[in-house]
Amino acid sequence: MSAASSRTGRSLLLLAPLLFFLIGFFVWPLFSMMSQSVSDPAVLRLLPRSAEVLADWDRNSPPTIPMQTALMKDLKAVNDDQALGDMVRRLNSARSGFRTLMGKTTSALKETANPPVDLVSIDKRWEKPEFWLAIADALSPYTDRNLLAAVDLGRNAAGDIEHLPPDQSVNGVILMRTFWIAALVTFACVCIGFPYAIIAASLDGWKRDLMLGAVLLPLWTSLLVRTAAWFILLQEQGLINDLLRAIGLIDAPLALIFNRTGVIIAMTHVLLPFMVLPIYSVLITIPKNLMPAAASLGAHPLRAFLRVLLPLSLRGVASGALLVFISAIGYYITPALIGGPSDQMISSIIAFYATGSANWGMAGALGVVLLVATLLLYSVYARLSSDEVGGR
Amino acid sequence: MAEFIRFDRITKFYGPLCVVENLDLGIGKGEFVSLLGPSGSGKTTLLMMLAGFEQPTAGEILLDGTAINAVPTYKRDMGVVFQSYALFPHMSVGDNIAFPLQMRGIGKAGIDERVKRALDMVQLSTLSDRRPSQLSGGQQQRVALARALVFEPRVVLMDEPLGALDKQLREQMQLDIRDLHRRLGLTIVFVTHDQSEALTMSDRVAVFNQGKIEQIGTPRQVYDEPATRFVAEFIGETNLVEGVVETVQGAEATVRLPSGAQIVSAVSGSIASGQSVFLSIRPERVDLSETRSEGRNVLETEVTDSVYQGDHLRVQLHNATHPLIAKLGRRSREFPPGTKVFAAFSAGDCRVIAP
Amino acid sequence: MPMKVAKATFAMLTIIFLVAPLIAILPLAFTSSVILTYPIPSWSLRWFEELFFADAWRRAIFNSLIIGTGTTLLATALGTAASLGLRNRLVLFRGSMRTLFLLPMVVPAVVLGVGMQVLLAGFGLTNSYIGVIIAHTVVAVPFVVVSVTGALAGIDERVELAAQSLGASPARVFRRITLPLAMPGVLSGAVLAFATSLDEVVLTLFVAGPNQRTLARQMFSSIRENISPAIAAAAFLFIAGTVLIGLVVVVSRSIMAERR
Repeated sequence: MSAASSRTGRSLLLLAPLLFFLIGFFVWPLFSMMSQSVSDPAVLRLLPRSAEVLADWDRNSPPTIPMQTALMKDLKAVNDDQALGDMVRRLNSARSGFRTLMGKTTSALKETANPPVDLVSIDKRWEKPEFWLAIADALSPYTDRNLLAAVDLGRNAAGDIEHLPPDQSVNGVILMRTFWIAALVTFACVCIGFPYAIIAASLDGWKRDLMLGAVLLPLWTSLLVRTAAWFILLQEQGLINDLLRAIGLIDAPLALIFNRTGVIIAMTHVLLPFMVLPIYSVLITIPKNLMPAAASLGAHPLRAFLRVLLPLSLRGVASGALLVFISAIGYYITPALIGGPSDQMISSIIAFYATGSANWGMAGALGVVLLVATLLLYSVYARLSSDEVGGR
Repeated sequence: MAEFIRFDRITKFYGPLCVVENLDLGIGKGEFVSLLGPSGSGKTTLLMMLAGFEQPTAGEILLDGTAINAVPTYKRDMGVVFQSYALFPHMSVGDNIAFPLQMRGIGKAGIDERVKRALDMVQLSTLSDRRPSQLSGGQQQRVALARALVFEPRVVLMDEPLGALDKQLREQMQLDIRDLHRRLGLTIVFVTHDQSEALTMSDRVAVFNQGKIEQIGTPRQVYDEPATRFVAEFIGETNLVEGVVETVQGAEATVRLPSGAQIVSAVSGSIASGQSVFLSIRPERVDLSETRSEGRNVLETEVTDSVYQGDHLRVQLHNATHPLIAKLGRRSREFPPGTKVFAAFSAGDCRVIAP
Repeated sequence: MPMKVAKATFAMLTIIFLVAPLIAILPLAFTSSVILTYPIPSWSLRWFEELFFADAWRRAIFNSLIIGTGTTLLATALGTAASLGLRNRLVLFRGSMRTLFLLPMVVPAVVLGVGMQVLLAGFGLTNSYIGVIIAHTVVAVPFVVVSVTGALAGIDERVELAAQSLGASPARVFRRITLPLAMPGVLSGAVLAFATSLDEVVLTLFVAGPNQRTLARQMFSSIRENISPAIAAAAFLFIAGTVLIGLVVVVSRSIMAERR
């Protein structure tokens, strides 16, 4: 028994480096992204005393003196302009008017000559509960704002969840668009890839090698190179338009780039191998004599296909379709380079929120949505592929 | 013969499944012992435990008086020949055979000499530089044999090594291995499911069934004097006839068959009057004739089928309540179906077995 | 017959669809014109010159080589060790660990990038080679694991048992039997890791500083902002590089096979 346990100890030692590496640099970043989506420290960081005092407030009665004193103390203590700006932005998005109110208040508080006694004396708005309500709500370190906004929901003044107004409901549109484009690409890949795989599986020798090679070659080529190739080919003065005009099929150049068509074409090209290979690998396990057997039993080729080949290959088609779909919804490069402004998929939006406007909350929230969708689909795919093995 | 290898109350569980049950076995130095039995009977597991690839759940394995349970495989100094040869695919034949010598730190000159001798021994001297993938099955098996013998191990273990070879080659290799055994005086433990192979090669045969040894003895003993029904049926072919013991006289007993006939038979082990038993009669010991013979057991039978098998004539008979098979020499006359004949056999050709 | 013709036509058209874009772009690397169109007015190597002499491109190639090598070494080491560990059936949570090792292939790079940028910023690694190498290794490791576990699965376990029975201790079994037999898988994995690192754009966007711009990153910006045949030249280099490395692996494998 000791031999087995020392072997196991050795194995664990071998597994440990990669395990810790991935936990630290893969799992943790994902968690941190998820926590970004629900974190909201902009206000709490700067107003710790107010947080304490506001905890006891009943949210109805007019603001008390301790509340005002605490807020004044907090505001006077702020020396980081950047953080102040973040806080004001945050408060302003909850209740407009904060920007001017805060500006007035902070400059009044800087007055050393004639320090204000309380906030109401600076501005009457501090008398009403509404602005205090906004601060109280924004003080929680956690928020579901981002996650809700990711699916176009928000909380109204009463605190109930409702749909955001249309001019703010951009994410839903983008999510739908992402899934729609992915679905179109998947559909195109099935239409082209399924027959292709069937033909390849039915051939032998150099013909089969050629067909497989044609599928594997793009796979080996860099994604960037493939996308760049399409970028060049789909131009108005690109090869494809020139060719079509040369054969006389069209007169004026087609708009193939910076639009939906170009994106679909390019993504189909890139993802086609992921459809062909799973289907092919299922097809070659089907005994070669099944179709001839069906024919000998009197089945017309089309019926033999529908009743014998199709059901047996369906698993491969489902695996391939899932693989293509999962890849497509996460794609960034190809839509970014080939697509127009109305073709941007969810990954571009995430990138925009993160690097463009430093809105880590929204970037995280949309990331969570994408991640959850991906993992759900992947678990279906994994179940499908393991069924394949187990069911045999 | 002092016991060189001893299995002492060996038990092996795989999860809830008991594969070897409380097994005792002793093997003498220089002995060729076959572990014979159907798949799943525990024989290969026992061999794996001897080699050190598996650990017994309970019990001890002793080699030359010392318990080796805790000794890792690479220190046991046993040569193992696998059914699938297990040759190193990335090394040449010569390097394969040299490997155990390198592990033992023998110098290059010594290695070269011993490898050459080993190759000569299996008649593959010209193939030293080939890769295993370039050899035929029989050649690969001989390389595996040479590799297992080159370092002169104390014990040689073989796990159905001839199973993948065709009939001619297998029979040739059986004789070759037996020859090597005699010449080198090796202690060999040989696992097989082929009973004729076991009978051909072994000094003793241990018959396995469901994790236990049903009988161990010389080939003659297990064939002529099967101790249990399983052994009688597993080794060679036999006629099994049910009956009840009437009287017991020393080494013989009288058994009454359901049809009323009385048979006098030799006895294995102890039985008592009134006991329900089986009679085992080897088909080749049955004579057929049209006249009743005296002084032997005789059963009235009718021929149901007769098939010429090249080296013998196989006749299927039916006697009142049970079928019988007789194997007659090729010089015998034809027995067309429907013929009424007397099937005769002496007491010594018949054995009483307790069920 | 018409069925056969239809099949052949469909197959040919699809093959052209798959392969033509790659073939069409390569000659443009040698165009003398500033515009990326056919017909090519005359052949020239000016775009390769630009790649090797223009600062931005030269830096990018250099960075790609450094980061690629670092990633290959790290990913191959981690992935090979883990694959060896995964062989032992007695390890708890073996299946879950295996899934974890393969997950970086599934998770969208943007999502990972967002998280990683925050994490690396916390460690102060955002403007460093190490940061980029770490990020690339995360996505390259699954390829190594798949490749090496595949090679290990092809090793007949009994060959290792035989080696033990012949007197080889576990360490010697590994050195003389397991490792040589798994080597083709390790090399393939290393090549895939390098190719993955070379091609990585999205993660690089998030974690690399301006001094660590890789070739892929440079190409990406170039396509967006300033399209020129230099891109075709870079694409040519990409393809040539991958093919070259693949050839090196194939040749070295057959040399190794013959030497024994």
